[in-house]
Amino acid sequence: MKVSLSWLKDYVRIETDIHDLTSALTMAGLEVESIADPFDYLEKVVVGRIIEIKPHPNAGNLKICRVDAGDRILQVVCGAPNVKENLLAPLALPGTVLPDGSLLAECEIRGQTSEGMLCSERELELGEDGSGIMVLPGNLQAGCNIARAIGLSDYVLEIGLTPNRSDCLSVIGIAREIAAIQKFKIKYPDVRRPGKNKEIFDFTSVKIEAPEHCPRYAAALVADITVAPSPFWLRKRLISVGQRPINNIVDITNFIMLECGQPLHAFDFDLLAENRIVVRTATKGETFITLDRKERTLDPDMLMICDGKKPAAIAGVMGGLNSEIGSSTKRVLIESAYFNPLSIRKTSKKTGLSTEASYRFERGVDPGGTVKALVRAAGLVTEIGKGKSIKGIIDEYPLIQKTETIELSISATGRVLGTELDKSTIKSLLESIEFKVKNSGADTIKVTPPSFRVDIARPVDLMEEAARLYGYNRIPASLPLMQSETTQPLKTLALRENIKNIMTGLSFTETVNYSFICESSCDRLNLSSDDPKRRLLHVLNPLTEEQNVMRTSLVPGLLETMHRNLSQQTRNLNIFETGKMFLSKGNESLPEEIEMAAGLMTGGRYSQSWYENDADCDFYDIKGAVEGLLAGLNIDNVRFTKMPVELCSYTRYGYSAQIIAENKTIGIIGEVHPEVLGNFDLKQKAFIFELNCNTVLSLSGRDKTAGQLPKFPASTRDITIITDKNIEAMSVLEKINSIGEKLIENTHLFDIFEGASIPAGKRSVSIRITYRSSEKTLEDGEVNNIHKNITDRLTMEFGASLPV
Amino acid sequence: MEKTIDQICADALKEIETAKSKDSLNAVSLKYLSRKGIVTQFLRSISKLPPEERPKAGERANETKRLLEKAVEDAINSLDARSPAADSFIDVSLPGRSALPGSLHPITQITRQICDIFTRMGFDIAEGPEVESDYYNFEALNIPKYHPARDMQDTFYVSDNIVLRTHTSPIQVRVMEKRKPPLKVIAPGKVYRSDSDITHTPMFHQVEGLMVGENISFGNLKGILSNFVHLMFDEKTSLRFRPSFFPFTEPSAEVDILCVMCRGKGCRVCSHTGWLEVLGAGMVHPAVFENVGYDTSRITGFAFGMGVERITMLKYGIDDIRKFFENDFRFLRQF
Ligand SMILES: [Zn+2]
Repeated sequence: MKVSLSWLKDYVRIETDIHDLTSALTMAGLEVESIADPFDYLEKVVVGRIIEIKPHPNAGNLKICRVDAGDRILQVVCGAPNVKENLLAPLALPGTVLPDGSLLAECEIRGQTSEGMLCSERELELGEDGSGIMVLPGNLQAGCNIARAIGLSDYVLEIGLTPNRSDCLSVIGIAREIAAIQKFKIKYPDVRRPGKNKEIFDFTSVKIEAPEHCPRYAAALVADITVAPSPFWLRKRLISVGQRPINNIVDITNFIMLECGQPLHAFDFDLLAENRIVVRTATKGETFITLDRKERTLDPDMLMICDGKKPAAIAGVMGGLNSEIGSSTKRVLIESAYFNPLSIRKTSKKTGLSTEASYRFERGVDPGGTVKALVRAAGLVTEIGKGKSIKGIIDEYPLIQKTETIELSISATGRVLGTELDKSTIKSLLESIEFKVKNSGADTIKVTPPSFRVDIARPVDLMEEAARLYGYNRIPASLPLMQSETTQPLKTLALRENIKNIMTGLSFTETVNYSFICESSCDRLNLSSDDPKRRLLHVLNPLTEEQNVMRTSLVPGLLETMHRNLSQQTRNLNIFETGKMFLSKGNESLPEEIEMAAGLMTGGRYSQSWYENDADCDFYDIKGAVEGLLAGLNIDNVRFTKMPVELCSYTRYGYSAQIIAENKTIGIIGEVHPEVLGNFDLKQKAFIFELNCNTVLSLSGRDKTAGQLPKFPASTRDITIITDKNIEAMSVLEKINSIGEKLIENTHLFDIFEGASIPAGKRSVSIRITYRSSEKTLEDGEVNNIHKNITDRLTMEFGASLPV
Repeated sequence: MEKTIDQICADALKEIETAKSKDSLNAVSLKYLSRKGIVTQFLRSISKLPPEERPKAGERANETKRLLEKAVEDAINSLDARSPAADSFIDVSLPGRSALPGSLHPITQITRQICDIFTRMGFDIAEGPEVESDYYNFEALNIPKYHPARDMQDTFYVSDNIVLRTHTSPIQVRVMEKRKPPLKVIAPGKVYRSDSDITHTPMFHQVEGLMVGENISFGNLKGILSNFVHLMFDEKTSLRFRPSFFPFTEPSAEVDILCVMCRGKGCRVCSHTGWLEVLGAGMVHPAVFENVGYDTSRITGFAFGMGVERITMLKYGIDDIRKFFENDFRFLRQF
């Protein structure tokens, strides 16, 4: 909402400095977002004195003037008939942006240099006279800035209004607040009451067929008007707040709306069929052309202002082309109405049309101000449009809008605010903004808000009014004395934070990617047509198609992050993310939200170092990280099993595994499929893992209990067998463990070897077994026997041989 | 009688002990252990002993030799440790072998700081779904359909009744439905609004707070938030509370802090106002309590909410909110 200081001063005395005023408004809840001077476009326009006039050698109707611009004399080509020597006129210097948007530059006019422009009132939007240059009073100093010289400077405040303060969508509304803050009285414009004479009924009628949409509709009629440009004072008011003047009639309706917040509409009365108004809802499929020359299809929820035959305006939103005020308009019907805010809001949303009028109606205009605004507008139309007022107004008010009286407890107010405000303080605060206050008990008052405060409904609303006018900053801060029960920490949160800590300890850096991804990500991930990750939740109104669905995997985000970093020449990445993925259960229900953790490694295993040769990371690097993570999370007995080909989509078959604990698949790990890398435009290998935190949380886990430490020494024996390459090393370890030999304390894989002396298709697997008894020191012979047994079992089970 | 081997040993050990330099130790070594040294001589002399004494004496002499060799070596090492030789060193400036830790996303770091402050004040942490029903995101918070207040937040819709939550406030309602007052809860999480520029991203993070009980006042809200701001920034960071509007609180306030960049003098970050808007807050609207079945005659409470990105930008001097989600390694590694 924009208001100018000079306009405010029409209604309230303002004595404080502009900065004190704006900060007082801000602290009363009307946040002043900016202060601007509406005449700052005149910055490079100065008072010029015409010293000498010569005819233009090449153009009879032009003259060459030498103009004193204060610090220098300029040559200006001018065609105005009223140029005279010694005349003072506004001189626009090069660099001026004229109100019509054009930039003035030094130029040649018919072969003669013009170093500026002598301007008319109209060219500077300072008046309507465009017939010649603007003549300035002779006592002004040449070179002075024009705005300062003729006292045009003003301040325009841009106020960020919260949606509840519809009463402040007007200059008077803001003036009222200033009056309350400064404890001055507001001066409303004089509006006489409409007389008893109802001449208007001889000409027209208003019929409201949908009172729930239109509780009140008032109309006035002015005849014999002349449509013309508005007088300067009116244009200036509109321009100062960024409104474009159109003609006197339309400008008056806009002026009244800006002044008191009541949107008005003016119809060309002679274009209304049967010269009457019918307020009804539209019929389905009906079409209508609005003032912006667009055809609108109507629906039965939309309220229309109709004449005897057809719609003439979309109520509260926009008028129709068929009754527009034009230069030939002679009689105008002025509408001032109170429409149901919800009805206007719905129509505005459905038509996609939001106007100054609809904005106010949907927030709630003053149902008590309908007639006042109408009478003031009719008076101005009669005066400025030089018309003849038809006596009387029509005021149809089938659904009276009542303002409820609210009982307020003084002690409750103190309790809620945390400071004692006494009754008289609260009373005077509320009265300063025109609330009517009556004593109703020792601790209570009865408060009736004015009709324009449609936001006040409950005692707390009154408490806020009292508090904001008293000053929030005067309420002392205090710490509450309240005990509340402490609950168990959230398991998901604890797990997530734990993962973050462990992963950063493992050299991974945390990323946060958007929860929405592009629908095409599923195809780019090579997901099969029945993959559950295709259960996409679509956003109806995404900002871009790149973000049109909620992610069903954290992997696309990580791959895109990898892409962005590679393009910044960051080649080595260890990154991870925790967050939700969303599996749709249809658009009408909440999706399944699954907490995930995922990581990605790419590039060198180490950053180039003095102690290690460069090597790219591989599967076992990320597996090591995952093992570290799981160990940190106290998840034991994890198996990594080769991922079946039908489950490999974005990971490469043969190079990916499922992560299994307690017979549940808690995640996957693997090399990103080369095709998927291509789909994400990536040119180096990447390795990923994904953990389903919900499944991890469902594991029963391990109780932490302290065991006895061994008392007797251990014996270790190594074993190396040669097996087929496709036998998983871990299955050899598992075999050893499955034998159930009680003396085996630990098995550890310490070497894998292929080539040289090992036959093709085979490899050697070396395992160290630790034997220990809890009762005695083991004898060599005993250990050797057990070890031989195990060796025999292994060679038999795996068809293995021993190295020669 | 010549000295016994034990006497020789004792003498040698005494000399080793009193030797102050490598040279004197070498001299001791030479005196006792060289080819013509005393111990070596003694060994040679064993052949002169009666045959039955020779093995024992030999063993004893060899043992002494080993003991002295070790003693000299230890003494040299311990001298080294105290005043090393110039040619015995490693380059301690070379980087170590262990990998450096990764870093937490700045949003995580600041969210943790915020949550830590409030949990120390006794607040519990609650979470909730990111895709919400219209009821929890709006209706229950006193924002009916077609209310102009819906324009305050640009909403991403999944359908007419399902939205991406625009704030973490729905968690308030979910918590109050499950628990009875008194309660103190904060709710961190991701939220979504269809807005994108240098100060807005379509996804960002909020921390919502709620304190409900008997006699909880606006003054208490001021007290808790002042305490928070002083811990999050510093004691000198003053606050101001300005009247504002949120449908789910009444009275409502915007909380500004004195600009942390210019300390109130006015700068680009604070749009030359000297103040930065960092929190929205207010007393829980009775309509919200009615929706969860609380007795509004007895129960009052306050709620507040803050944008984590905003606070992180102020804390770390980040000028473009989009950087948080570009995940440029060079950006992330600074925190
Ligand atoms: Zn600043």
